[in-house]
Amino acid sequence: MIRRTLAAATCLLLSGSPSSLAADSSKPPEALAPIPSFTEEAQQADVTHVYDGAWEFFVGGGTAIFDCNDDRRPDLFLAGGSNQARLFQNESITAGPLKFKEVDTGVSDRSLGRVLGAYPIDIDNDDHLDLVVLRLGENLLLKGLGDCRFEVMNRSLAFEGGREWTTAFSATWEEGSTYPTLAFGNYVDRSAPGSPWGTCHNNFLFRPDADSEALLYREPTRLSPGYCSLSILFTDWNRSGEASLRISNDRHYYRGGQEQLWAVPANRPPRPYRRSDGWQHLKIWGMGIASIDLNVDGFPEYALTSMGDTKLQTLDLESDDTLPVFEDIAFNLGVTAHRPYTGDDLKPSTGWHSEFQDVNNDGLWDLFIAKGNVEAMPDFAAYDPDNLLLGQWSRTFAEAGKDAGIALDRRGRGGGLADFNADGLLDLIVVNRSSPVSLFRNTGAGTAADPRPLGNWLAIDVRQPARFNGRAVGAKISVKTGNRTLVKDIQVGGGHASGQLGFVHFGLGVAERANVRIKWPDGDWSHGYRVFANSHVVIERGTEKAKLWYPPGASNP
Amino acid sequence: MNNQTLLYCVAGAVSGLMVTTAIASPDLPPWSEKAIVEDVDIQALAASGDDPIAVLQPIGEDLFTAKFTVLDGAGRPDATGAILPTKVRRQSHLTFQRLAGLDANACSSCHNEPVVGGAGSFTANVFVSEGFESADFDTIDPQFSNERNTNALQGAGLIELLAREMTADLRKQRQSALAGARQSGEPETVALVTKGVSFGHLTAFADGTLDVSRIEGVDHDLTIRPFSQKGVFTSLRQFTVNAMNAHHGIQPAERFGSDWTGTADFDGDGYLDEMSTGQVSALVAWQATLPAPGRKDDLPEVWQDAADHGEDLFAATGCASCHLPSLPLDSLVFLDPGPYDTAGTLRQSDVETPLVLDLETLVWVQSLPRDESGRVLVPLFGDLKRHKIADAANDTLGNELLAQRFVARDVFITAELWGVGSTAPYGHRGDLTTLHEVIMAHGGDAADSQKAYAALEEDERQYVLAFLRSLEISQ
Repeated sequence: MIRRTLAAATCLLLSGSPSSLAADSSKPPEALAPIPSFTEEAQQADVTHVYDGAWEFFVGGGTAIFDCNDDRRPDLFLAGGSNQARLFQNESITAGPLKFKEVDTGVSDRSLGRVLGAYPIDIDNDDHLDLVVLRLGENLLLKGLGDCRFEVMNRSLAFEGGREWTTAFSATWEEGSTYPTLAFGNYVDRSAPGSPWGTCHNNFLFRPDADSEALLYREPTRLSPGYCSLSILFTDWNRSGEASLRISNDRHYYRGGQEQLWAVPANRPPRPYRRSDGWQHLKIWGMGIASIDLNVDGFPEYALTSMGDTKLQTLDLESDDTLPVFEDIAFNLGVTAHRPYTGDDLKPSTGWHSEFQDVNNDGLWDLFIAKGNVEAMPDFAAYDPDNLLLGQWSRTFAEAGKDAGIALDRRGRGGGLADFNADGLLDLIVVNRSSPVSLFRNTGAGTAADPRPLGNWLAIDVRQPARFNGRAVGAKISVKTGNRTLVKDIQVGGGHASGQLGFVHFGLGVAERANVRIKWPDGDWSHGYRVFANSHVVIERGTEKAKLWYPPGASNP
Repeated sequence: MNNQTLLYCVAGAVSGLMVTTAIASPDLPPWSEKAIVEDVDIQALAASGDDPIAVLQPIGEDLFTAKFTVLDGAGRPDATGAILPTKVRRQSHLTFQRLAGLDANACSSCHNEPVVGGAGSFTANVFVSEGFESADFDTIDPQFSNERNTNALQGAGLIELLAREMTADLRKQRQSALAGARQSGEPETVALVTKGVSFGHLTAFADGTLDVSRIEGVDHDLTIRPFSQKGVFTSLRQFTVNAMNAHHGIQPAERFGSDWTGTADFDGDGYLDEMSTGQVSALVAWQATLPAPGRKDDLPEVWQDAADHGEDLFAATGCASCHLPSLPLDSLVFLDPGPYDTAGTLRQSDVETPLVLDLETLVWVQSLPRDESGRVLVPLFGDLKRHKIADAANDTLGNELLAQRFVARDVFITAELWGVGSTAPYGHRGDLTTLHEVIMAHGGDAADSQKAYAALEEDERQYVLAFLRSLEISQ
């Protein structure tokens, strides 16, 4: 029923305002939703870093956003390509300017070279977040030791980091498993004859050894064929309770390839969905996956960045929802983002990291897309500013990147939105190729000198204390205000070489309070937690009430 | 010349600046049925240096007593009366009905006893629904709505000021506990107390987390919400915005406008942005400056003696442990917007400068008692705290089935008793005709006081009633 609602809205939009979409798609609809103001302050924040390098680093450029020193504030790990990857500890004043301090990871410089991206995850269930580091060459599992220190645990976990050009990662806790299954997406096999054309690496799945009490990843499973993936994501696309692996691939290099979806049934070999399963052939320059359940029907929508059009897929209404048949609603909802929204360059865009968040706290999901020419591709826009597509009450999206102040002339790659200064407004980091990292402070309805709030908000940290998968990867957070519900899954993967774990942010609009329920990774639902807006809450499984968290130094907590 | 035009001219004659801030609708004939005819630019007013009370009070009174019409945007065919902008599932064929509303076309049609702004009879009860999209119920079955009697608004400005100061106190205590726990590395538990009222305990941990499970009588965000029978609304402004939509279908732009709904006509009646921030401010100012209730000053000797004795018994029976005779107020400066509203009600962060309503300038405020520190002793006979008011043995006041805004069905804020002699009938449903009945209806946290009252001799109980009946809203 709810899925029909989204489709109906889409139809209404098409019939109601065909001219606005079809007549001149270069003029996106104006945003009615409040436009947040972003101020770039990477330099002042002491985050001076560049992702750079030769062809192998035309892709990648990710960041891991996570709390490495247990103060609940998000810290930053930044891939460097030919430069060293670096770790920055968050020292931002609450509700003030962003501030970071570079810290020593404890890992050798060699290990931090040739890094394309990273994802935080607690692999060994010790409640310290670990890092999966994607590299040109051996991937690394860095064990979090606390206090932002790490050590390589490849050997102790019998993990073979490989020699591939790794560009994507995702993880899930399969049913019955104490430890996560790790999936690595690889790009071009440069050593294969005929490289780079049609020579994509296989992708790999690392399941924890079922025969061993200790955590070991001895036997990778090959996911073949690989089609030069740039983003992968474990996702419960069919509300089955079992995550499948969605893989977005770059058609620039593969031959005969397509987008992929692998069933990953517990204790059984993974299996790709095929045409006979309803899976449809789709070729794009897949660069980043973002997922959100826009119409709260339990079936997530997927934004797939590419060169040219971004896709936004929803399960096809006409088909059986047990089949992975998707239709593209990007055009209908105004998120194709196919060429620059400002400037004179009308060539197609190149999209990379994508992420659904609520940047103006109006209770509507927004879509951020990092944009940037691969290097100097003449057929694609050279000035290609990042997109900030604000969700509208009409269920469409409207571009606000220029007015929000993020339309810099930089080649974006990875990135992420997180509330670095704990003021309830999501800030933005973008890792740019051959340019400094962009770090934007969201100053809401105000300015850097006088930030002002927008809508109400809620930040939720979900934990499973004294259990494996303490960060509840695979859980679904449901936030109800009035008769509206927002849901978001806790996932590891997707985006472009960039991931984050920590507080999950919800905009509440004008709601002063909310009822929060958690669907835990094992499928059990929590009772409703009654929480007030504009607060950080910590929900621990089994507790009657949510805890509140206040950042240090908040002037009027 | 109609009243609105007259007001506008008077304001203009008092101060040239007011001409720029009070804006009358042009070209309305004197017989116009439009009720909302003036607006105020509150940014200009705040910057002008003029006394906003003088400008806003008369406009607010006009709005409070106005009979809103469809020409003002009264009616909400596409929207429910819910606090959050919510679309109806289907339109009602009735513009007015007593349940889901519209249930009134003037504030004063309910708030009118004994004077405008006062309480209401049982006939003026309203229905509170948390059902949102199902708000088009057509039953008074309590599983769908809670029926509430109309509260008096006299003294509401002082109540809100007290609540703001208490909120600030509690939050300071929270901040102190957090700082202490972070510094010591050990959990720190604080007793939450403000103006002598205890709100339980709070434990802060070194990692900045809080255990809120022992907080009592106030929401976990430590915001004192003093308004409504339940005690779930923060400010006159928030309540006004709620009420304008719920009761009249007049949708203030600060919540129902395009910023938060994507349209300036959320209720689909063809009228855009039906109430401005200035008009809401005028309503707030008028309510905030309503004189506080007092005591009858012309009692016959027999009543005065009985009342004096009764006041002592009121304390001796423990009634005054919740119905505190007074709470001290540090500041009489009422800022509008206030400090604790959130998005959807105009916030201080939404304006350059808030309006400064100095209640000290009001004659009736100047006559209020003060303590040795000069603080006004607000004689509210309340504690601005929520209590459980029913139990299995005495469930008269536990007659609701629905919790409201996270507050359990049998928990209500202590009713302020100032003016109680003027506000019969009693109880949150207004279904208790005498003070004796409502006292006897107290259970839960008030059970001991009720028993103590019940144990009094009949003449002593009469003294208590004599005392309560002496608390009145001036006419």
